[in-house]
Amino acid sequence: MKKRNLAWMMAIAMAAVSAAGCSGPGGSTTTETTKAATSETTAAAGETAPAAPAEFSYPMAAGEKLQYWCELTTTVSANFSNLGDTPFGQGWQKNTGAEIEFLHPPTGQMKEQFSLILADGNLPDLMEYNWTVDYPGGPEKAIKDGVIIPLNDVFAQYCPNITQYLAENPEIDRMIKTDEGHYYVFPFIRGDENLMNTIGLMVRQDWLEELNMEVPTTMDEWHEVLTAFKNEKGCTAPYSFEYTNGQYLGADPFVAAYGVNRSFYLGSDNKVHFGATEPGFKEYLTTMNQWYSEGLIDPDLATLKSDQISAKITNGQAGASMGQAGSRMGTWTTAARSTTPEFKLVPAPVPTLEKGGQAEMGYIENPFSGRASVAITTSCKDIERAARLMDWAYGEEGHMYFNFGIEGESYTMVDNYPTYTEQILNNPDGLPVSQAMSAYIRGNYNGPFVQDIRYLEQYYTMEEQRLTPGVWGQCNGAAHTMPPITPTSDESKEFSTIMNEINTYRDEMILKFIFGTESVDNFDTYVKNIENMGLERALEIQNAALERYNSR
Amino acid sequence: MNEKKLQKPTLSYQLKRDWIRNRSLYILVIPVLLFYILFHYKPMYGAIIAFKDYTPALGVKDSPWIGLDNFIRFFKSVYFGRLIKNTILLSVYSLIFGFPAPIILALLLNEVRNKRFKNLTQTITYLPHFISLIVVTGMLTDFSMTSGLFNDIIEFFGGQRSPLLQNPNLYRTMYVASGIWQQVGWGSIIYLSALAGVDQQLYEAASIDGAGKWKQLLNVTLPGIAPTIIIMLIMRVGQLMSMGYEKTILLYNPSTYDTADIISSYIYRVGLLEQDWSYSTAVGLFNSVINFCLLILTNKISKKFSETSLW
Repeated sequence: MKKRNLAWMMAIAMAAVSAAGCSGPGGSTTTETTKAATSETTAAAGETAPAAPAEFSYPMAAGEKLQYWCELTTTVSANFSNLGDTPFGQGWQKNTGAEIEFLHPPTGQMKEQFSLILADGNLPDLMEYNWTVDYPGGPEKAIKDGVIIPLNDVFAQYCPNITQYLAENPEIDRMIKTDEGHYYVFPFIRGDENLMNTIGLMVRQDWLEELNMEVPTTMDEWHEVLTAFKNEKGCTAPYSFEYTNGQYLGADPFVAAYGVNRSFYLGSDNKVHFGATEPGFKEYLTTMNQWYSEGLIDPDLATLKSDQISAKITNGQAGASMGQAGSRMGTWTTAARSTTPEFKLVPAPVPTLEKGGQAEMGYIENPFSGRASVAITTSCKDIERAARLMDWAYGEEGHMYFNFGIEGESYTMVDNYPTYTEQILNNPDGLPVSQAMSAYIRGNYNGPFVQDIRYLEQYYTMEEQRLTPGVWGQCNGAAHTMPPITPTSDESKEFSTIMNEINTYRDEMILKFIFGTESVDNFDTYVKNIENMGLERALEIQNAALERYNSR
Repeated sequence: MNEKKLQKPTLSYQLKRDWIRNRSLYILVIPVLLFYILFHYKPMYGAIIAFKDYTPALGVKDSPWIGLDNFIRFFKSVYFGRLIKNTILLSVYSLIFGFPAPIILALLLNEVRNKRFKNLTQTITYLPHFISLIVVTGMLTDFSMTSGLFNDIIEFFGGQRSPLLQNPNLYRTMYVASGIWQQVGWGSIIYLSALAGVDQQLYEAASIDGAGKWKQLLNVTLPGIAPTIIIMLIMRVGQLMSMGYEKTILLYNPSTYDTADIISSYIYRVGLLEQDWSYSTAVGLFNSVINFCLLILTNKISKKFSETSLW
């Protein structure tokens, strides 16, 4: 008897070992992720909600738990593993009366997990994602594929707040619709112009003063300043920035100086242009190549990650960079001042070619970029409940809650101005402002609500940070930002096939041109190759989409 | 009656008898079979999306058929030639330099007489195997920076500092060398155990016949572990084209695409980042078919020239 038991145990143990041995690293992660995606999506249907009363008021009566899928931003994940654990998440549920189960993809893998969830088919009720840009085929396709539901009726029936907001802001209304006129998300909207130019150049003011120089405004002045940093201050990487960050590449002010863009932009002729093949781009590459060979640009450009930039800026290996006023300028300044008290970064405007001019191009975002906007999926059983939950953020109460948090706890009203408390600005547990904010609000990153400028006014605690909107906004960039156009689903496939090849080639060649491994004289061949990959067709698709957008 | 006895027992009878006799063995094998069916054979069904215009909402079954369009798109792509070339070159280099390395290490270790030194060396060479790939590539990236360790060494010997990971000509060397560094100790284990199995009497006989250390190595040791080497080689060749994307996407950047971009990293970019599932499945399927052919081919060759083969 005993012997037999032992044999059984051995059998089980061996099976377990062999199973573990056979699954490679790839295999086990996939199964884990799918499991994570599926195990949460089996909530029972529950009874249907009672008919909506004529007078609706929050909080809602208890009902079915809603699943809400969104990325957990790093300033939250530093202290919390789930948005539901934060004071923000708990208060949101309490105020609206909706019970929410938050699901998060692993950090940095939102797109990958989104794919897996779609492939699996068990969708959470609400999904926060860039449905405008990152759903293959565009938002209209997402509706046709039966992934999300059109929201026109939902807005009309259950969402008085957002309906009112859209009526007051027709330009936004146009942005968040598809060409066919469907609403598809509860959008993230930047509620003020100054919230839209958050990335720009910055330079060491204390060094400039020491060297008797001004903040550079033209490309020639930049050349002088960087050369001086190299020769006088011994910088090994006078200008260093996070080249591997796609957002920064799109915002590069040095490209803008030549009146072009790395990708698509709206020309003065109201047509879509592809900047990376235009003559201005060749000039940009020529300059960058020169700077690189002179040692003015970080030699490790293509492999730099943010922590390496931080180190270089704060220890004086670099004297100029690009980035946000909060997470870069503020963080670096605070870190550097512990060892270098005179350390000071100031914003520099988009450079021009002629002195005294104003840059035509520049990085100004659309109020609606598609990012962090919430769609209701077809798996959602109680649409009214989901819609009411989302709509709350666009009303007065929800707006204050999303931007400032809980009154008396994270903010107080001082002269009718919502002022963050010490809990946020001077956290007793020593949390940085960004992390303390992220526990209580979503105003400092993104989400389905209208962002309030009054958050930024208090988030920027340094004088030089407050200068940034004015300095970085000194350009006509807004006129050239692509509106959120959407190709039709047929075109979209063709478009992404073409652009896939073009973008890979462009990214590769730009670096070769800058490093000098490929002579800038070959720019024409490069343009030819891109044209052969179907650039014209891509522009045709974009322009057709633009026309449809304009006639929305 | 007699006739019946001469007849071969029926299959079902054979099975029944075998089942009664070896029941526990059958039970033992069930979980393994289930594992392969569930995780290796069932997913193959999904490969048909390579011939379809797959949308998750329609599912695998109902997505429309589009024939070979995805394959044609891949063959026509400007990157097709480069991807194939890079994949083959990287794996061939890994094979040429990476395959003999653990054998040589094992042979060397086998000759070491000082037990403590032998154990120490073994342990040190194993260790990198247990370091996560992320950490290894992170270290490589840091060491390759202009201010990094590798450049310190280069400068010490009078060379010029330069960003090594931005140089497409160095990429393959870095990739292969770091792979060897990480796996050589671990890979040598199987050969060490094969070496332990070589009959000691053979060595005695050889030395009586006047064979020196070198002759013993050539005529006793190597033939002794040859079956292991050949099996390992066949398995290795079968994986020739199936290079994982993980290391590549952690090490490459647009300036090294020229030599670094391989089929699997391309699939990763297109399939998971651009969400073009059908296309990336088609590329992956193409890759697997080549792998399959390579495996059969090596096995055939091995069968012809030696006694050893997988089947």
